[in-house]
Amino acid sequence: MHNKNKKETIAVIFGGKSAEHDVSIITAYVPIIQSLFAIGQFNVLPIYITKDGSWYSNDAMSDIAYFKQPDFEKNLQRNKKLQLLFEGGLKVIKPGIISKTISIDVVFPAMHGTFGEDGSLMGLLRMASVPFVGCDLFASSVAMDKVITKQVISAEGVPVTPYVWFTKHDWDHKKSEWKNKIEKLKWPVFVKPTHLGSSIAITKVRDKSALENAIEVALHYDGKVLVEESVENLIEVTLPIMGNNNLHLAAIERPLNKTEFFDFNDKYLSNGKKRGGVNSAYSEIPAQIAPELAHKVKELGKKVYRTLGCSGIARVDFLIDGTENKVFVNEVNTLPGSLYQHNWKKVGVSNVELVDNLITLAKEHFSEEKRLTRTFKSDILNKAGGGKA
Amino acid sequence: MKNIASRYRLCYVRSLVYMLQASEYNINDYFAWLYRTKDFSSVEKRKYLVKSPKAILLLVVGWGFLSVITVFALWVALLISTTYGYILGTIILLASPFILAYVIVIPLFIIQMFQKPVEMAIINHARKKLSRHKALKIAIAGSYGKTSLREILKTVLSEKKKVATPPHNHNTPLSIGKFIRTLSGDEEVLIFELGEYYPGDIQALCKLVQPDIGIITGINEAHLQKFKTLKKTTQTIFELADFLATHPVYINGESKLAKDNAKYGHIIYDRNGVGEWRVKNSKTDLSGTSFSLIKNKEKLDLKSLLLGLHQIGPLAVAVDIAIQEGLSPEQVVSGVKKTKPFNHRLEIKTDESGVIMIDDSYNGNPDGVRAVIAFLGALPYRRFYVTPGLVEMGAQTETIHRKIGHELAMSGIEKVVLIKNSVTPYIEQGLKEKQYHGEVLWFDDALSAFAALPHMTITGDIVLLQNDWPDQYA
Repeated sequence: MHNKNKKETIAVIFGGKSAEHDVSIITAYVPIIQSLFAIGQFNVLPIYITKDGSWYSNDAMSDIAYFKQPDFEKNLQRNKKLQLLFEGGLKVIKPGIISKTISIDVVFPAMHGTFGEDGSLMGLLRMASVPFVGCDLFASSVAMDKVITKQVISAEGVPVTPYVWFTKHDWDHKKSEWKNKIEKLKWPVFVKPTHLGSSIAITKVRDKSALENAIEVALHYDGKVLVEESVENLIEVTLPIMGNNNLHLAAIERPLNKTEFFDFNDKYLSNGKKRGGVNSAYSEIPAQIAPELAHKVKELGKKVYRTLGCSGIARVDFLIDGTENKVFVNEVNTLPGSLYQHNWKKVGVSNVELVDNLITLAKEHFSEEKRLTRTFKSDILNKAGGGKA
Repeated sequence: MKNIASRYRLCYVRSLVYMLQASEYNINDYFAWLYRTKDFSSVEKRKYLVKSPKAILLLVVGWGFLSVITVFALWVALLISTTYGYILGTIILLASPFILAYVIVIPLFIIQMFQKPVEMAIINHARKKLSRHKALKIAIAGSYGKTSLREILKTVLSEKKKVATPPHNHNTPLSIGKFIRTLSGDEEVLIFELGEYYPGDIQALCKLVQPDIGIITGINEAHLQKFKTLKKTTQTIFELADFLATHPVYINGESKLAKDNAKYGHIIYDRNGVGEWRVKNSKTDLSGTSFSLIKNKEKLDLKSLLLGLHQIGPLAVAVDIAIQEGLSPEQVVSGVKKTKPFNHRLEIKTDESGVIMIDDSYNGNPDGVRAVIAFLGALPYRRFYVTPGLVEMGAQTETIHRKIGHELAMSGIEKVVLIKNSVTPYIEQGLKEKQYHGEVLWFDDALSAFAALPHMTITGDIVLLQNDWPDQYA
């Protein structure tokens, strides 16, 4: 429950140095900021991080229309940058003739991709000792790397598709060695940058002659590349999950995209129509799959969520071999676009409830973390540097 | 202090002109708003000033007046050139926005002097043209439900006849006159809504339209602020029945006031039937309304996309008139099947999240509200009822809104969303009086409620938007 006596301040942080910068703005507003306003019990502080990493906040940012102005970036430069203060939690200072210091009660990160969803922001918020919504540093950073995710969850017995990974340096210096390894995989294969979300720069390669180009594209965005076997007769599904210790599952959702895989256009720009965040019209909710497959997806989803130590919210993506009824975990998204609010609505969770629950979960997680002992007394300093033994 | 300062803002002139436009240049309505309003800083909320030639003229007059008075104040101050002179100049300057609120209506009187003869000419020409027109003329009067009935009649009769009606809700002599000018002469049915604002209005329209059939859709507190008493409203609306004398007059039996004033020979209609037609097997849900009409051995199984059992009466009237006008039973069934909700009147829209929005924002009368609450109360979904309350209820404002609260409390509707204004506290009071068990949600204005609702709802919820609250009632 929130403190009814004092209006809490929720800072929603979005934008950032990421390929998913613009998607992050949509997530911040639909549903987060708009729902916080609808709840009416919070002071809402939108904090926008530019593509070069500067932090800003002003009153006009309460409306997404601010970011639709063609010259908003120019206008921003006339604002003074926010300053952060770690003093008894997180405070932001709005500089000016009379500077204003605002104490933040909870941070709601709405950043996708690098420097946000990858754990960087979470690290900063942990240092500041402020409750924040969603997955913590460790789950975020593991989930951001598709290869490490596969390594971690497969160690726990979660099925993943066979894969090869390498860095830009590996590719530049031992190209033929890596090509040989890739050729041993069952083709066609997918080439993916390991750290990017929203399916950016992912290519399905059927023909060996197209491999190099696909890898070059992936390496343009990322220093580490994953090449994995594709699942044929594919049924692609995703499962949003919410909770810390007790998990609440949304509906299993199946993208009904026309392209061969669920790419950036399908997710955000389908049909060129304006939509409230992630496009919901392309999905089948709940996915019409066999009950035993649905059961397996749910169980694996929970196992992956726990294995990575997710908290608050995450979405687990699956690949199902429709012929052999095999389920593979594809990847984990620790900040689903627009929180997958369209899916939660189908299972009876309104945006307001979703956002409110996530804030409650953030506080719970923070309290649990706070109870842990992080420091202890020792006399190691006395013994160091040739002191008396 | 903030309120007084709001008169000195740059948008003040625009606000006055906007309100004149929103009041359709009705001086009484404008002054009623002027005396009620304290803060002039944000008058344009629901709509914006349309820069029509008349509006531009008033803006020019407004700014011209302020410029002249500013120069005058300076002249006074400099001419006298003493402390008293400066004080006097300042007083003139400070008083100017207050004077402007009255000065700005002067051009309207001047415009009217030139406009009136032109309007009279249009109306006279229309009267002559219409008296020669051979079409069946149907006139509809009433405090509510006129447009719905007009659309139903038009849809059903169009199965066989060439039907014409004035566009939108044009129901004044001038707007009807302009419509008559557009007629080609081969129309077979003409349907007119008669607007009533003051005693004598309906009679004047009857003289223009010369109807063959009249329909009185009901009488209630709508426009009570103008009529002052329901007796005057009733007398005005029944000017249609008086004019028609021996011609057919249909009267809505679901409106107590209309029914109580019906005379021998008038045809009563309601959800149970019309004339000799009896209604059986009536059913309504989100897919529409179905019922059978039976007369002797004749039976018509009808299905309409209109929502609510209160639609059966008007549909039955259309069927009765259609049969008399020679439409076959098949044409009638087909016509009724095509009747559907029209703009902002129980119009269903489903958003991409599967939330069902029922837009009833043009329904702002107590009877319509009662019917809609009953309809919503019978639906098996989680329901949100959103309303800013009703306008122009005069002395009945409190009673009517408390009653709405009672009906909402008894309907089982889960969420009542109220917009803050002078009347919605009465709805809340009514809800409390009947121990409402649902949740009451308050919003400062309709726009913030509309912005919040998509975030408060889930797939399968129903959101009903009841009535609008125009800026002139702020």
